[in-house]
Amino acid sequence: MASTPEHVEVNRAHWTRSNAEFTDADAEDKWAREEIVWGSFEWPESELRIFGDVAGLDVVELGCGTAYFSAWLARRGARPVGIDVTPAQLDTARRMQARHGLDFQLVEASAEDVPLPDASFDLALSEFGASIWCDPERWIPEAARLLRPGGRLVFARGSTIEQLCFGEERVTERLEHDWSELERMDFRSEGGGIEFHPPVGVTLGVLRRAGFELLALHELLAPPEAETHPHYDFVTADWARRWPSVEIWDARKQA
Amino acid sequence: MTHPNIEAWTRENAEHYDARAEGAWAKEEIDWGIWRVPEAELRALPDVTGKDVVELGCGTGYFGAWLKKRGASRVVGVDPTPAQLDTARRCNEKFGLGLELVEAFAEEVPLADDSFDLAISEYGASIWADPYKWIPEAARLLRPGGDVVFLCNSPLAMLCSPEEDLPTVETLQRPQFGMFRFQWPDSGVEYHLPHGEWIRLLRANGFEILDLIEIQAPVDAETDQHYDYVSADWASKWPSEEIWRARLST
Repeated sequence: MASTPEHVEVNRAHWTRSNAEFTDADAEDKWAREEIVWGSFEWPESELRIFGDVAGLDVVELGCGTAYFSAWLARRGARPVGIDVTPAQLDTARRMQARHGLDFQLVEASAEDVPLPDASFDLALSEFGASIWCDPERWIPEAARLLRPGGRLVFARGSTIEQLCFGEERVTERLEHDWSELERMDFRSEGGGIEFHPPVGVTLGVLRRAGFELLALHELLAPPEAETHPHYDFVTADWARRWPSVEIWDARKQA
Repeated sequence: MTHPNIEAWTRENAEHYDARAEGAWAKEEIDWGIWRVPEAELRALPDVTGKDVVELGCGTGYFGAWLKKRGASRVVGVDPTPAQLDTARRCNEKFGLGLELVEAFAEEVPLADDSFDLAISEYGASIWADPYKWIPEAARLLRPGGDVVFLCNSPLAMLCSPEEDLPTVETLQRPQFGMFRFQWPDSGVEYHLPHGEWIRLLRANGFEILDLIEIQAPVDAETDQHYDYVSADWASKWPSEEIWRARLST
């Protein structure tokens, strides 16, 4: 059996810590929400309309964390399966399932190597999960394998420009990183993990080679009333009203 | 009144491009943009053998000439600036390549629907024409399955360009949201879109997005004396230009 890549171990340790510090306590709020929202400025899905009707869809969430997004989709009639590599986050997800009376499958695995059959989902989703914490050359082909022909891959991540401007602990108006640093960014010295932020052209190439057609790239403008998130305060609402802090990719597996 | 872009390009042609044109036409290798990255490396073009090509904003016509030499069957260069087309005609005669040249804006081309296999623009319509008008024109001119390939400045370079006529810097100079039309001092009108908006516009006009090549300057590149709006140092750290390739659905 192939050995586990370094970033998988590092990111599991990072998320075990982060779950104890924040996401475990935050999970209840997230699960209790009725509305689907995207990212730290909480763009409402009712405005973005990324998904359309999800009722009856088989959904795999790649890097689900505490699985609140899967919960939101389950309430709308989807059949989600949450995949995550960090046991502590899945423990939180299971506690939330029991409390909210929502039951769906949770699988402990890396999104780069998912123990589920080919062509078994209509929608593969990642909101700041595999989309930044996994190697795109591995998880995107894995998403393609899991999807049925015509199935959709939707993922949210920090924008390229946000990553380029990510200085010490906060996003600035300066290009803090060279382009060559984007594909693998090691934030361990700042208490983070190992992230993958290939630029738009490279990401498009990975999608095309995996058999996806690009439908849209939504670069999100923070709403006028948005306020800087108390926990994810590395980017201010003021910055995110001038440049996109979050982008959502929408692609379709070719039939 | 003359269009500001015709004014700007009449002046630029007299000062610079007319003298450069014959050298550009004579080149055997295709290269892209101000860093002259070879097509052999980028592979942005489909095979043009036997294809009908329209170049939108052809200037002195050198790119179309390169495609004719590569075996394109018909190359039509479209440009709104008479002075640039005069230069193109002189070169066309001298090199005997048989390009057709048409004086028109890429926003409204007097050529028939479904008559080309490739629409190309290298710093032509791609930055000097309104994309909400020239992309639909390209879609109209192309046959189903035809490609549009165009090179423009990267959105990042535009975000980092000061208002004054100064080289690109390492800080963000303007918001991305609302980025569209630019008018620099003593120049024409340019159009630049963010990536998400290019994708939306291309798809809305029936194109499938095939490729986006974000071009960085080679490490040994030197700042160009004419194109001094971006330094080789900046462009080796970040892409200053990019090529889009998209295919009209069949």
